[in-house]
Amino acid sequence: MAAIVLIVAIAIVVIGYQAYAAKMDKEVIQANPKKATPATLYNDGVDFMPASGSVLFGYQFKSIAALGPIVGPIVAVQWGWLPTFLWLMLGVFFIGWVQDYASAMMAMRNDGLTMGGLAYKFISPRARGILLAFLYFYLLLIMGAFGAVVAGLLAIPVVPVGLFILTLAGVLAGQMTYRWKMDLVMTTVITVLIALIGIWLGTMPWAKDLVNSINSLAGTGPKHILYNTPYGPMTWPQFFWGIVALAFCYLGSVLAIWRFAQPVNYVSFWFVALGLLGSILGVFVAAIFKTTNVAFQIPAYVTWNQPKLGWLWPILFVTVSCGAISGWHSLVSTAGTARQLEKETDALPVGAGAMFTEAILATMALIFAATALTKGNTVLYDANHMYFLKVKAGAIWAYGMSRFLSWIPGISPSMGAAIGAIFLAVMALTVMQLVLRFMRVASAELVGDKIPAFKNPHVGTIVAILFTFLILWTAFWQRIWVLFGGANQLFAGLALLLITIWLANEGKKHGWVFWPMVFMYVTTVTALLVTAWKSFHHMMTANVSAAFAFGDLVAGVIALFLALAAVILAADGLKSLAKARAKAASHAGD
Amino acid sequence: MTEEEKRSFFSKIVRNLQDVIYGMASHDMARQALKTRGSMEHLFILITMGDLLGVPILPPYYSLRLLPYVVPQISTWKRRMLRERDLTDALA
Repeated sequence: MAAIVLIVAIAIVVIGYQAYAAKMDKEVIQANPKKATPATLYNDGVDFMPASGSVLFGYQFKSIAALGPIVGPIVAVQWGWLPTFLWLMLGVFFIGWVQDYASAMMAMRNDGLTMGGLAYKFISPRARGILLAFLYFYLLLIMGAFGAVVAGLLAIPVVPVGLFILTLAGVLAGQMTYRWKMDLVMTTVITVLIALIGIWLGTMPWAKDLVNSINSLAGTGPKHILYNTPYGPMTWPQFFWGIVALAFCYLGSVLAIWRFAQPVNYVSFWFVALGLLGSILGVFVAAIFKTTNVAFQIPAYVTWNQPKLGWLWPILFVTVSCGAISGWHSLVSTAGTARQLEKETDALPVGAGAMFTEAILATMALIFAATALTKGNTVLYDANHMYFLKVKAGAIWAYGMSRFLSWIPGISPSMGAAIGAIFLAVMALTVMQLVLRFMRVASAELVGDKIPAFKNPHVGTIVAILFTFLILWTAFWQRIWVLFGGANQLFAGLALLLITIWLANEGKKHGWVFWPMVFMYVTTVTALLVTAWKSFHHMMTANVSAAFAFGDLVAGVIALFLALAAVILAADGLKSLAKARAKAASHAGD
Repeated sequence: MTEEEKRSFFSKIVRNLQDVIYGMASHDMARQALKTRGSMEHLFILITMGDLLGVPILPPYYSLRLLPYVVPQISTWKRRMLRERDLTDALA
């Protein structure tokens, strides 16, 4: 079944790209390879630099693929694998690629403006202000949602030592490349080898004992409960490794980018790429040689109302975020890719191609989740209670990779799990470091003039980390994930709104963007309102301590703020759209 | 397909694959290094040629000596200096 699902996904992706995306690119957008792009026109060696389509495809895919396409399907299979798969495929086919590709084209045809500038130009000055405030909260939710996943991954005994040595190898790679000016191939071979040995060392009994002893530092063993939350216990390992993850991001934010963040990402890229390739092949190897179970254990459809999560619509549609559509991609497409595209015709393979590829990554996560209910004696999804997820989402991915990489000689289950967990942790940490850097810059820009202390990079970073602490340790993770997904999908809706207005201004067909925008708006605003209501209801009715009531309050207020900001932006945006349509109609009349 | 066409076809695939891997692994690093260099250059031009943007500078003797070397960059430099930015630029 797993191989069939993967083949169907690949077929849908190919059809979507060849039949739908290519048609829109040719007939509506009319990409012209001879038209000068901002990268070639304004090549200033800083913000605008041309690069080839193939290079940018790699850049775009690396920039958009993080935890969203992996964790989303793992959580969403609790409604059943079929609704999750359908949303992944329909989402990417009709909405996901549209946003990624068209936002790059829109920025490219508007002098390389980013989302803030585009909102200012196409909607109103107020829209830009609201969008930037929205963005800050959205990024904060990324920190909270991803931070909790990384904390869970680091608590796995085979992970921390490997990740620590990989980080050291990354720092060494930076030193070798930028200070000692060594050959990149040599640097890569040495540092990747060190990292590989590190991951292997992490699976040794002494390393696991070391991590277990850290996990037991608080007293009564690795499951030691620090305090009970209304949604379950907060264990010492989750608490401790959350601090470690944020310390890692702190270094990524305040150190020079070449010193820490980039070389660590570079070394880990090889594990991410090779691990992904190995496990995709592993699905087919398992289907043919039965190296691991490939039959789906979770039913195609479980329920409409998942007791702990909510209704299939709208909550599933925000739980599965990046594999189907994601607002983060529009930020990458406008601020990064559009300023590097050498030819307009490259936007299709780069923007749409990377998005369709990401849908395959999400399908892999779905397969990993749906094919295993238990790991030894550990229950992963509780078949007796609506297939409720019983472990951290990251653990499902790590276990999936360990199973589907087992066909490669020398990869033991423990090594496979370590690679899978480090793969996921690194993907999350890469984005978290970037987000924390951005939040530091944002706080310096927004309040630096009034409170000069915020101009200090350490202060801005620490404040952003404190906000993240608040979310990590007072709120219910799955609700935060839904909030993150809601903000993420809503940001995509905002990008689609801007694209619609741009197309209407140009007098081009825009129904193919308008209706997906309406769907995303209605779905995500509803999801946010439902989440706000649940948070407030829980705060008022459940007997919770002040700290967790505060957590509910924070979640509820963020959800309400995001929904309100989106409604204001939509109202302003629809006015601009009406004006653009009237202008286009009058031009047509002339 | 002739032998030569086959060779060219496969070499194109290999080249594209190399580019994709470079894009995923190293493009960001290379871009960051170029951006740092470009920013330093622009800062230098601002110090020496700031009066082109209305920023008063010290006696223009050295500016005039440097001018021939700076001419090719002036238009993109001015555009970058005067371009309106917002926070979303920081994500690039």
